[in-house]
Order: sequence, then C-alpha cells, then structure tokens
Amino acid sequence: MKSSTPDLEALSDNFLMVQVREGDLDRLGLLFERYKKPLFGFFYGLNREQELSEDLVQNTFLRILKYRHLFRGEGEFRAWMFQIARNVNHDHHRANKIKVKEELNDWQNKLGHQENQVTEMVKADDEQRLSLALERLPTEKREVLLLSKFQEKKYQEIGEILGCSEGAVKVKVFRALQELREVYKKLEKTM
Amino acid sequence: MEKEIKKELLAKYNAGLANADDRKRIEELLESGEIDLEQLEGLSILQMQVGAIETEAPSQRLDDQFHAMLAQEKRKHHGKGFSFSFHWSNLFPRLAVAASFLIVGFAGGYFLKGSSQEKSVDELTQQVSELKEMMMLAMLEKESATERLKAVSLTSDMQLVSKKVTAALFQTLNGDENVNVRLAALDVLMNYAKDDEVREELIRSISLQDSPLVQIALADLMVMLQEKKSVSELKKLLQKENTAKEVKAKIEKSLNVLI
Repeated sequence: MKSSTPDLEALSDNFLMVQVREGDLDRLGLLFERYKKPLFGFFYGLNREQELSEDLVQNTFLRILKYRHLFRGEGEFRAWMFQIARNVNHDHHRANKIKVKEELNDWQNKLGHQENQVTEMVKADDEQRLSLALERLPTEKREVLLLSKFQEKKYQEIGEILGCSEGAVKVKVFRALQELREVYKKLEKTM
Repeated sequence: MEKEIKKELLAKYNAGLANADDRKRIEELLESGEIDLEQLEGLSILQMQVGAIETEAPSQRLDDQFHAMLAQEKRKHHGKGFSFSFHWSNLFPRLAVAASFLIVGFAGGYFLKGSSQEKSVDELTQQVSELKEMMMLAMLEKESATERLKAVSLTSDMQLVSKKVTAALFQTLNGDENVNVRLAALDVLMNYAKDDEVREELIRSISLQDSPLVQIALADLMVMLQEKKSVSELKKLLQKENTAKEVKAKIEKSLNVLI
C-alpha cells in the first residue's frame, strides 16, 4: 500500500498502524476491515474450523493492540501481522496439544469405506479436489502456500515472517507445490 | 553455455521428465535467484489455482467480537488519561508517594520557618488531610480486607472528615463483605455521631445489617447515643424471623433503655 500522494499515504497500512501505536486506536478498525478476510482465510486454511479461525483472527488483533508499541514502521505491516498470526496459531496448538490434521498416509483411513470415498469424491470438482489436496499437506507446507497466497507471492516478506531468505522461501514453495501436485494426482485417480 | 543448460533443465522439468538430481539443481537455482518459480510452468499454474481457491468468509460474530474488544481497549486507554472512571486502587501508590513528600515538606517547613508561618502550616495540614482522605478512599477499593481495615483506621485520627469520607464509610458499613471491616467502619463513624446526618444514616443502617455482631454493635451505639429515633428500626429487626436469638435479647434490653 505504498503511495506517493499524501492522501493515499494516509491510508497506507504502515501509516495507520503508526497512528494506532500513537494512541489512535480507531485506526485499527480500518486495518481490521482490510485484513480480516485474508487472516481468516489463512487460519481457516490451516485449521478448517470456522469458529476457531475467527477466534484466532480476534487474538491476532488483540496481540497487535497489546504489542503496538513494538511496531517500528520500518517493515511492511502485513508481514508483521502475519508473523503475529503465525505465533497465535502456533501458541493455540501448543496450548491445546492439537494434532492439526492427519498426514497424507492417514487420509484413506479417515474416509473409511470405499463407498464413502466414492460419495465424497463424486461431489468434488477441481477446486474442491485442490482444497482437499491442500488440506492433506503437512502443516508447514500448507502454511507456506497460504502465506504465498495471502502475501501475494511477496517472497521477501514471507522470508521475514518465516525467518529465512527469499531464496529459501522459493525452495519451500517449490517443494510444497510439488507435493501438492502429487497429492492432487492421487486424488484424481481415486475418482 | 550455462544459459543453455538452465534452459534444458527447465524444459526437462516442464515436460515432466526431471529426476531427483534435476530437482535438486532446480532448488539451487531457485535459491540463488537464477530462475524463478514462474518459469516452472506446471507449478506456476498450480500456484495460481491455489490463489484462486474461494476463501471462506468470517461471520458477523468476528466483527462483533472485534469491535467489543476495541471499545474495551479504548476505555482502558482513555482511563489512563483524565477520566473519572479510574480505579482508586490504581491511584493509591501515587497518592502514597505524594502524601509522603508532602508530610516531609510539611515537617521540614515547620522546623525551618517556625511559628511565623502558621498560616501556611494550616494550609499544609489541610492538604495532608485531603491526601489522607484520598488515600483512604483508594484503599477502600482494595480486594484485601486487611487493606480495607487499614483504610478505615486511617480516618480514626482525623478530626474533621468530608462528606465523601463518611459516605464511603457508610458504604463500607452497609456493603462490605467482611464483618471486621464493617465493624471498624462503625467504630470510626461513632466519632462523627454528633452530626445529625451521620446519626440518621446509622439508624437506617440497622435494618440493612445481617451480621449479629454488627447488629449488636449498632444496638449498643443507639443506647449510648440515647437515640430514640432508632426504636422503630430496632423493633423491625426484632420482628424479623431470621434475626438471631441473642440479637433479639440484646435489642429487647436496648429498647427497654430507650423507651
């Protein structure tokens, strides 16, 4: 949201967050409107639970408020926010000792009978199948693909979030996409 | 030459013919920035498809929760400013420090200037007394019963107290969950019983008490003050079914003296 004109600059994420930091808490409402959906999508992609994902979005904004004094305004707000979101998700699962989702190997057991498999898969069109394949990926691979989606492929920012180089992010995305393609192909065969 | 090898490698990958070594080499090239993910055709399309997956939308519940949280945070934030919605208990440490400085200043001033500064000494005494009152009010808000007892006892050496203080003491007498704190408040209020308003409030408090100890203490006080206006309130207490036997006996004795 960088802009050269003063009016648009006033609406940039960083400018708004700096104002929140300075005590104008209402400005967080604008950032919430801007990012509630991508954040929800990120959490939903990781957890597949509506209510939990909403709670995690809420917790992310709560932490943004709590640690607003730590926002320096140097990096991108969005990267900072997703970094907090990752920690929120991590803390939630650590606290609840939830095993997020089954690994690919467990998937067939989950579906159970062949009959159920057919019913499940007949309904699935390409997009549903892709969502299902995404769901079957290990958490860290799913996470990097979701970050890549909601961070609009800004690999340098994703690197800031994950604590690695831009090149390392690209390799992670490459590996995740390869595995996604394999899972997708397997799902296709079961139809 | 290097360019040709890269081109060949990409072509091999995009044709689905890459082996493990080729993939490793591609990873190296990606990491060093020599090739980009977009050049891997199949994967690039897959990534686009992932990006296009319709995202679920959060419900109204999230909006409601967020705005409630923001409103609460704003209240807290403004509370740090000048608002009257602050907790006295938060103010207590600052008041304590302020009072200490004032007392030290007062004492210092007293010894340095002697009696020629009587007027300013009076002003300072007044200010100390006001600060003491504020400290007492702040301490009455504390959760610990011991702290509240201290607060009540702070007023015992004050010769004059404001209506705000007596109101707080009555609130304690009629509403504090701890009997000892209520009794201490009554002890202090006795000192101000010359005041008609305080007397009337003490009479009104009789029917509000449910602790036998406080009820007996109030009955004793009425006898001591020879307060005939309290008769009807004491009778009401006597007629109440849940008034303890011992209390009833005590009230009967008190009524005999008052009537």
